Amino acid sequence: MNDDDLWLDALLDDELDAAASVALQRRLAAEPALQRRFDERRALRDAVRTQATRHAAPEALRANLEAMLAAPARANVARERAPRRLRGALPWATGIGGALVATLCTLVAVDPAALGWHRGDALTSQQTAEASEAVSAHTRALLVDHPIEVASSDQHTVRPWLSARLNFVPPVVDLVAQGYPLVGARRDVLSGETAAALVYRHGAHVISVFVRPAEANAPAGVEATRVVRGFNVIERTQGGLAFCFVSDVNPADLRALADLVTPLAGK
Amino acid sequence: MTDDGQERFAASVLPHLDAAFNLARWLVRDAHDAQDVVQDALVRALRHFDGFRGGDPRPWLLAIVRNAAFAWLGARRPNEIEVPDDELDATLAVGAQPGDPESLAIRRAERREIDAAIAALPIAFREALVLRELEELSYREIARITDVPIGTVMSRLSRARHLLAVALRPEATRSLA
Repeated sequence: MNDDDLWLDALLDDELDAAASVALQRRLAAEPALQRRFDERRALRDAVRTQATRHAAPEALRANLEAMLAAPARANVARERAPRRLRGALPWATGIGGALVATLCTLVAVDPAALGWHRGDALTSQQTAEASEAVSAHTRALLVDHPIEVASSDQHTVRPWLSARLNFVPPVVDLVAQGYPLVGARRDVLSGETAAALVYRHGAHVISVFVRPAEANAPAGVEATRVVRGFNVIERTQGGLAFCFVSDVNPADLRALADLVTPLAGK
Repeated sequence: MTDDGQERFAASVLPHLDAAFNLARWLVRDAHDAQDVVQDALVRALRHFDGFRGGDPRPWLLAIVRNAAFAWLGARRPNEIEVPDDELDATLAVGAQPGDPESLAIRRAERREIDAAIAALPIAFREALVLRELEELSYREIARITDVPIGTVMSRLSRARHLLAVALRPEATRSLA
């Protein structure tokens, strides 16, 4: 490679101004080796352009994003149109899309600093990374993957299903009376470890509750609240389990669910 | 954001979904991971759409996809984006054997071989090449998307093409087989 190649490429890419282009073309006419090099360059360019794969967006991705964007922007409208019960994938996608979009729009005005760390000194960057992973898992579940593997509001169905598949037992309780109906659960992976993901609903919002065994040296009772990419996240360690609550619901309602769920741990 | 803003966003961005996915797919080199990246990017794009001042939405969207892909790789496969300069130089040295220009003539390569050669490029060269050859963006647009000076775009593109030529020349493909 040499400087000539930069010029040849620029000519090939039509990035030279008229004067430079004319000057280079004169050189090409006078120097067969340079002309040959230019021809090779062009042949390579043409081969790449005609042969290299242009990956088209998968239909599932397109459909999900279209559903997300077709949903109404205002939260109240989203709530009215959100399905009361989730029977299949499509109502899930559209209902959640509305809630997600609504929250993304309203959160623009929220100052993350005001909702950020509560006890920052007790937490490490690793935990921040885990919160970020939890948010990714939450959004992934909303938009593409199967949000739930076991769809049931019956805690006596969900709990055994999870117990059979995990080496720990997460607390599972339906909180419909408190305004947080249990939708179902799935397994997910956080920081390379299998976690239980319980899915609750609150109004038009979906809340993911990730549960996995706490690390042996994790301080008990530590809690962090933060905003990650527009989602509220509450992390708690209690009863030997690490909980991570993720949702676009407002922080107070998320905390209310956390208070309902975590006292049950370890009992 | 209003419904109207959301409709405007959909109308501006969804036509470029293939381009967004193509870039993400070439950067993270996995179809499933690329879907994650595009979703992350679209969520970010929607959030910042108010800041989009019109013009061509494609480079704007691709810049967000590119940043989402780097953030994604940084969290999961950081070694792929932290390629030190001297390693890039070593990569170049492999193909830098001086020789007659004809040794760089590529043979009629198949799609599979070309794809593999592009996928093997260091990411800085790969993104420049994909943005130029597959998305046909200008040097200026590529500079803006990848956040480097135009001169850097030129040298990366040139190096990318050189590495491809080396990977695809007859003796290289024979030795691969």
